Parts: sequence; C-alpha cells; structure tokens
Amino acid sequence: MTTPLNTLIIGGGLSGLTCGIALAKTGRRVAIVSSSTSSLQLNGGAMELLGSVDGKEVTHPLEAIVSLPPEHPYQKVGVDRCGTLAVEAKQLLADTGIYTTGTVEQNHWRITPLGVTKPAWLSLRGMATSDAPDRLPWKHVTLLNLQGFVDFPIQFVAHNLSQLGCEVTVRDIFVESLCQPRRNASEMRAANLARTLGTGSKLRQLAEAINQSTTNNEVVLLPAIAGLEDDYPVTLLRRLVNAPLHFLATMPPSVPGTRMAMMLRHYFKMLGGTYLAGDTACRAEVAENHITGIYTAKTPDKAQIAKHYVLATGSLMSLGLVATAEGITEPLFELDVDAPIEREQWSHYGLLGDQPFMHFGVRTDATLHGIKDGKSIDNLHVIGSILAGHNPLTMSDSTGVDLLTALAVAHEIIEK
Amino acid sequence: MAKDETYDIIVIGGGVTGAGVARDCALRGLRVLLLEQGDYNHGASGRNHGLMHSGARYAVTDPESARECVEENAILRRIASHCIEPTDGLFVTLSEDDLSYQQTFVKACHASGIKTEVLSPSLALLLEPSLNPQVQGAVRVPDASIDPFSLTLANIVDARLHGAVTLTHHTVTDLLVNNGRVEGVRAINCRTGESQEYHAPVTINAAGIWGASIVRHAGIDIQMFPAKGTMLIYSKRVNQMVLNRCRKPSNADILVPDGAVSVMGTTSDHIALDTIDALRVTDAEVRLLISEGERMVPSLSSTRLLRAFAGVRPLIASDNDPEGRSISRGIVCLDHASRDGMEGLITITGGKLITYRKMAELATDLACSKLGVEVGCTTATTPLPGSENGKSARTNYIASRKNTAANRHGSRSRQIPAEDTSDRTFVCECEHVSVGEVKYAIDQLHAIDLVDLLRRTRMGMGMCQGKNCSCRIANLMARLTGDTAQAQQDLNTLLDERWKGLKPIAWGQILRDTQLTVAIYQGLCGLDKAIAGRKEGQP
Ligand SMILES: Cc1cc2nc3c(=O)[nH]c(=O)nc-3n(C[C@H](O)[C@H](O)[C@H](O)COP(=O)(O)OP(=O)(O)OC[C@H]3O[C@@H](n4cnc5c(N)ncnc54)[C@H](O)[C@@H]3O)c2cc1C
Ligand SMILES: Cc1cc2nc3c(=O)[nH]c(=O)nc-3n(C[C@H](O)[C@H](O)[C@H](O)COP(=O)(O)OP(=O)(O)OC[C@H]3O[C@@H](n4cnc5c(N)ncnc54)[C@H](O)[C@@H]3O)c2cc1C
Repeated sequence: MTTPLNTLIIGGGLSGLTCGIALAKTGRRVAIVSSSTSSLQLNGGAMELLGSVDGKEVTHPLEAIVSLPPEHPYQKVGVDRCGTLAVEAKQLLADTGIYTTGTVEQNHWRITPLGVTKPAWLSLRGMATSDAPDRLPWKHVTLLNLQGFVDFPIQFVAHNLSQLGCEVTVRDIFVESLCQPRRNASEMRAANLARTLGTGSKLRQLAEAINQSTTNNEVVLLPAIAGLEDDYPVTLLRRLVNAPLHFLATMPPSVPGTRMAMMLRHYFKMLGGTYLAGDTACRAEVAENHITGIYTAKTPDKAQIAKHYVLATGSLMSLGLVATAEGITEPLFELDVDAPIEREQWSHYGLLGDQPFMHFGVRTDATLHGIKDGKSIDNLHVIGSILAGHNPLTMSDSTGVDLLTALAVAHEIIEK
Repeated sequence: MAKDETYDIIVIGGGVTGAGVARDCALRGLRVLLLEQGDYNHGASGRNHGLMHSGARYAVTDPESARECVEENAILRRIASHCIEPTDGLFVTLSEDDLSYQQTFVKACHASGIKTEVLSPSLALLLEPSLNPQVQGAVRVPDASIDPFSLTLANIVDARLHGAVTLTHHTVTDLLVNNGRVEGVRAINCRTGESQEYHAPVTINAAGIWGASIVRHAGIDIQMFPAKGTMLIYSKRVNQMVLNRCRKPSNADILVPDGAVSVMGTTSDHIALDTIDALRVTDAEVRLLISEGERMVPSLSSTRLLRAFAGVRPLIASDNDPEGRSISRGIVCLDHASRDGMEGLITITGGKLITYRKMAELATDLACSKLGVEVGCTTATTPLPGSENGKSARTNYIASRKNTAANRHGSRSRQIPAEDTSDRTFVCECEHVSVGEVKYAIDQLHAIDLVDLLRRTRMGMGMCQGKNCSCRIANLMARLTGDTAQAQQDLNTLLDERWKGLKPIAWGQILRDTQLTVAIYQGLCGLDKAIAGRKEGQP
C-alpha cells in the first residue's frame, strides 16, 4: 500500500466498475468501495442508450439524443461524443468477456420477463431479441419453464408473445435434481437455479429434458437460468440442445445481470484494481471544495486518500440518495440534490408513470463534478444513476447513462 | 342467469352489516340476495381499527353504545372465536393527562357493566413493557383485537351455505318503486357493464355511508355524517394489549395489536359526502398519528411504518357537532314505511363493526314481520364457520409468531388443497400464502381479482407490500382463471392499490423499496407497455 491511489471510486455497480476498468487499463491505481449488491441484479441482460422520448419509442438513439434537454447527463458528456463513447463501451464489455449484439446506430428490441418488447442498444449473446417492436423473428416458438419456478410469469410471456403474431407452445419441463418445489419460493430463485445447474451433469440433464420434450422446433425459449459467473454454461447448453435456443429474462435476481456484475468485478481485479466488497464509505473530509480523504466502515480510523474521487453510489434503492422524513440527501458528501422540499411532491398516486422520485439526483457542473453549496468540488466526479436530470424508466436510458458518464469521467481523469 | 330474479330479501352492501343480515336471513330460511359494488369489506368494514370494544371507550360519553358493545363483545367471543385475539386492553394516563379522569372512567364502566382493574404504573409496565415509562396509571378492560376481514367472510360463507346468493362487483343503481312500495332494485355488473332488475318484497339498505344515496332513489332523505378516520400500520407488533388513552375520546389515542402488526389511530374529520370515494391520507394526519403514537409507545419512533389508510364512519347526524365525536355510535334501524310512507325498505346503519350481529338481528326481525315470517334469530348462539368447535380462538400471535392459513380461515383451513407439493409451495413468503390457499380463495371464497385475493389471504400485505409476490400471484391467477389479459390489468391495479397506502408515508425504506418496485415492473418488465397495448383495442 505504498503507491498512493490515483482514483477512489465509491460504488461498485455498472458505472463504478466501468470507470474503474477504464482507468485500471491505463495502469492507474484504482480502488472501488462497494457496500452491497448493485442494481445490476435487476438487469435482464440488455443495455439501453435511449429508448423513449416523450412517450414515443426511439429507433435511432443518436439522432434522438440531440434533442435532449440541457440538464440530461448526455448533454454533459457532449451529444457529439455519445456515439464514440458507446462504441468504446461495447468494446470494453467485450474485453471483459461480455459479448453483446446490437449497434449504436439502431435500437433492437429486448423481450421483458412479461414477454413485451422494449427498445435496447446491446443484448447479451444468447438472449431472445427482435429487430422490431411489433413482431418476432419466428413464426412458432416453444416456450419452456422449469416446474416449480415461479419467477418466470409464463402465462404473461405466452400471452404477450402471441400478441406479436407468433404461435406459442408452452411446456413445463421436469429435471429431478433441479425441480424440488420447496415450501420456500426463495430457494427456487433464478440465481439459485443457475448456481445449482453449474456446468456438469445437471446441465446435461436439463439439455436432455429439453430435447425430449421438444422435436423439430423452429426456436426454443427458456428462462435465463444458466451462467452465473460467465457465459460458458449458456454456450454449452445451446450446443447440447438440438433446436435453436434463446433465453428470456426472469424476475430478479436476474442471472444475466448478476453475471455481468461478476465478470466486470473479475476483470477489474485482473487489471490490478482493488475491490473492497462489503465496505461502506461513511464519512468524507472536504476542505475548500477539495476532498482530502474518505473513511470507510471497516477502517474508520484511517483515511483513504486518492488524487481523484468518483461518486457512483446509485439512486435511492442503492442508498446513493437517502430520503428522510425531512428531505432528500446525498449522505456521504451532502452534495446539492435536485428534489422538491415538500414531501407530498415526491411522488404521485398511480405507481407506474413519470414518478418525481425517479428524477431525483445530485447536481453536477458541465464536466460532471459534484456541487456542494453551489460550488464544484474540484476532485470529485459523479457518474451513473445518482445523477439528476432524467427519468431512466420513462426514457430507457439508465445503462447508457451509467456507461457513458463512467467513460467520459475516466477520460477526464486520464487527461489530467 | 334469468332476466328477472325474485327473492324474499335483497340486501344492499357487502360490509359486515350486510353480510350479517344475509346470514341471519338465510338461517331463518329466507331466499336472500346480497349485492356489493366492490368486494366484501370495500367500505368501512375493511378500513377500521379492528378493535373489539369492551365498551369502555364509550362508557363516559355514550353509555347506550357502551351497553351494545358489552353484549355483543360477549356473543362474538362465542360465535367468532377464530376472528378474535383476546388481548385485553389498557386505558393509560400519560404525564400530560389528568389522572382524575380515571375515576370518572372507572365509575362509568361499572355503570355499563364493564369489568375494570386499576393497575399501578409499575404493574402496567410489567404487563405492557412497550408503554411510555412515565405512565401515571392504567385501567385494564376486556378489549380485544378482531379481524374484520375474516369476520365478514365467515358471515358470507355461512349465508351461502344456507342458500344465499351474494354478488360482488354489482352496484345498485336504482330502487324499483311502484305505488309507494320498493319492489326491488336495478344493479349493474361492474365487470360486464350489464344492468339487471332483481325483485323482492323487502330491500334492506346496508350500504353504510353510501346509504343516503340509496334511499334517495325512493325520494327519501337521511342525513349522513361522514367522519373520516386515518390509521397507520406499523410493520412490527410493538404492543401485546390494546392501548387507549384514558381521557375523553379524541384523535390518535388507540394502538391495536393485530397479528404481526400494530395499528395506530385514528383521526376524525367531517368530510363532504361527495369525497367518500376518493379518500386521501394527508401529511398532517400522518404527522399527528406519529407524534401521538410515540407519546404512548416510545419505541414506535424506531419502528418501520408499513402503510396508511383511511375509512369513513357511517354515522347518522343528529346535532351540530363539527368533529362528529359526540354523535351517537348507536345502532340506527329505519323502517321507511313508518318514517317516510315507503313500504318494503329498511335502512340499517350506525353502530360499529362489533355490533353488526345485533344490527342484522334488528333488521331481519323487522323484515320478517313485514313478510309475516315467524322464525326467531339464532345468530347469537350459532358459531360462524371457522369457529364451530368454539375453542379455536385465534392462536395467540405471541405463541405462533407468524401469520398462517389456520389463523386466517379457522377450522375451514382444512379445506385448503395441500395434497401435492405444488399446492404447498408458497407464493407470498411474507404472509405464508400457498398455491393451495389461492385456489381455495378463488373456489370457495370467490375471489374474482387480485385485490379480492389480497383481502382473502393477506398476500402482499406483509413487509414487501407485494413487491416480490404480485407478479407470481397474477401469473397463478391467469392460469387458474384463463383470462391472462385481465390478470395483467389486475396486476397493475394491485400495484396501484398497494402504493395508495404507501404514498402518504413514502420516505426512508418505503421510498427506497418503491423505487425498486417501479424499476422492476416498469423498467425491467414493461408492465405499463403490456397494459397500454390492450387499451389500444387489441384483444
Ligand atoms: C376509522 C374507523 C375506525 C373504526 N374502528 C372501529 C373499531 O375499532 N371497532 C369497531 O367495532 N368499529 C369500528 N369502526 C366502525 C365500523 O368499521 C363500521 O361501523 C362498520 O364497518 C360498518 O359496516 P357496514 O357494513 O354497515 O358499512 P360498510 O362496511 O361501509 O359497508 C357498506 C357496503 O355497501 C356497499 N355499497 C354502497 N353503495 C352500494 C351500491 N349502490 N350498490 C352495492 N353496494 C353498495 C359498499 O361498497 C360497502 O361495502 C370504525 C370505523 C372507521 C371509519
Ligand atoms: C384491522 C386492519 C389491519 C390491517 N393490517 C394490514 C397489514 O398488516 N398489512 C397491510 O398491508 N395492510 C393492512 N391493513 C390495511 C389495508 O391493506 C388497506 O390499506 C385498508 O384496508 C384500506 O384500504 P385502502 O383504502 O388502502 O385500499 P383499497 O383500494 O380500499 O383496497 C385495499 C383493501 O385491502 C383489504 N385489506 C386490508 N387489510 C386486510 C387484512 N388484514 N386482511 C385481508 N384484507 C385486507 C381491504 O379490504 C381494503 O379494502 C389493515 C387494515 C385493517 C382494517
């Protein structure tokens, strides 16, 4: 621990890890502090750049980006840089071992755990996708589920896929060693199934069960329950199954999302990065708009000192932002937050839609420096979903904002 | 179903009163039809405090109500033991309360025949350690905790076992008036939009606060006094006994333990009659309940809130009382023949949850005399389904530490399918609801949609407030009913319904969890898109 840290990243979700990898690749000493699992476990195996503007789905994201309002994070990154950063992000994922289909020029459509289509920029290899919102690339699909697995709402998937003009045959498959319906549904969660499945005999039994229950199929769709640590089980299963096999996202914890998180973490460490898992940054020393040190829960007496700091702690659900009865705060640096003061204005009735709390975030200057009491902190950048200026759910731009702001900030730091 | 249907009695309203009337009529051999606009317990019966009054609360200010409570309390312990947890209650005097009121209170209880026991502060704290240690005194009374949902359902189940027809999601839109008589009703099926007439010589209006609009169809006026009450549910049971403030009944002075949770209430505000279908919990009400609750039980300040909800008391206005607190909570049974010259119509309202049986008896007696039927009432001695063996008192929560199907359905839980492992699989982990219990709720308790299911089983009512289980249960519902498009729509309705009770208290962990829920259902799943597609006219 002699060479001082170049960058300390707080938060090990998609944006923190991406920024860490980009920096570690250039040989800089980087550490990431991360308290718990990130929101990647909600990711169904797809990245989105910009999927929707004013309630209309977007086909060409780079064209639509130009019209985004000035407070949107893409405007801070620079709309003319988004294209190159996006290409760089896809390459970074591939370097990590996360192979994706899709291009920045034109969106494709991912298939959600309910079986509806949503615009996407990149999809993990093996996931079922379509090149249009209102049709599927197949005439007849065979939809499989594992008996007792309740986190794949197969009735809805079958219904919504057939709405897309495709004939759907539903089959329950039974694999003795996997399907022991338990009293406790949490034991039959997707991530647990993937762990049990592994790469050995159980995976082969699953392939056999699939082959037995289906013959002469145009395509077989299976909930994404294979490949927790890397995508070898995915590749293997696709080789063992006689028909073309694609995967569909499940309810969380999602296997493809968890896999991405694991692979990014692994790659970051391989590049020499320090990953402090299960530790929380709980206090910061700030002097005249300059951070001089961070204290974590596990080492409360010793300051972690770095040249640059990056805040990537996510939104409310990851505790990057905290809502108390009195107000919305960013707990670590007490940065300025964009959120109404009146509690009754934080949300509205009718759960789905454009909820005010989805817009909450930290204010940043034009180069994504965090702002405290109206002034920029010169060695703190803010990236990912803690940023204010957009609703990631109505715009379908969350992973894009994570990746692009992470890379933009990594470049800033490298150039300094 | 035939175009014109004839019964002896039509009951309007599927709250506890309507359910009780339907049961009483059916037990006396009458052909009865019950019509409910929403699901059972859609009104006050599903939005109250769940307190089985000993009568003590009304002893000083409303002795008539107190006496009604004393009698019915004793009866319900016999006939509805599976709905009741005999917790007893304390009336506590805090440092800011006047200790001399205790004597007035104890005297009044005696006059109404309510057993009391005056406790020293230290004994009170020993019995109920959650109490504010500065308590000046406490009086023990036989209050209890009662589950209104099981109570109404048990009445419905028994009415149906005795031949009653009960239709939920059917709104009465008109009374059929002919020559100064009400001869039946017109009702619309809210699911299909079909309207139909139903005939009977006697119609009983048990529509609670909506009752005034019912009788208006026959040109009759009754003055309702809508008093809104708001309650907060804490996610943990902090108190073991019902806690009341020992003072003149006022706002935010009762904490009721209910299974695994504690319910704090209530406020009381007169509201306009045209707002009763769009109740909103306000920030001011939430703040008041929190601060008063923490006075009585300090540990509430570190207990997570689960939900907020509001109901409207169906009281009949008699004098000009702006708060509606001194209006009698006594039973009102109106024979519109003698009151308004309109034959064939009875209104039964006022009262309380726990006096429903008495109310049903009064209304049914009157109906029988109109029909010339001479069969006596047996509901005071006939146990409700689920409580047949008398001893099946709700497992004391402290002993079981969890919600179980047996607690929800009493002895009838034996009918829940559990042969194969898939029926035994839990779909709701917080409240231990199995696939079999969902099937039972659909087949035996005729749950039609997901919100109905929630009321029958408590699924989605625990800590996760439906975040984890809604989708599973919607999918199961689609499989069991075969109507996937509807189940998908219902999933959205269910999420909105759960959110309604969270929004007023959405900060801290609740707002955090809500963001997660929205991220799952809107972001990951695209539920908004799935249901929008259908609205645009796809099949
Ligand atoms: C805040 C609050 C706290 C309370 N706490 C307690 C307590 O702790 N203990 C206690 O004993 N009592 C309590 N009460 C009182 C108790 O809840 C009510 O007295 C009781 O539930 C009334 O039952 P009901 O069936 O008469 O009315 P409701 O339950 O309101 O039933 C009326 C029904 O009629 C239906 N309806 C209306 N119009 C139509 C139509 N046109 N067609 C078809 N159906 C229609 C409604 O949907 C509704 O379901 C409380 C009440 C409130 C509001
Ligand atoms: C005594 C009591 C205890 C409660 N305990 C809980 C609890 O532990 N967790 C929780 O999430 N909510 C609980 N509730 C509140 C409930 O979920 C609704 O918020 C409340 O009944 C009012 O409904 P609403 O206006 O919010 O929504 P609405 O749109 O009216 O629909 C919600 C419906 O849920 C039903 N419901 C409420 N409580 C129960 C219950 N205990 N069993 C079966 N069905 C029920 C009601 O019929 C209600 O109409 C409780 C309510 C009461 C009266």
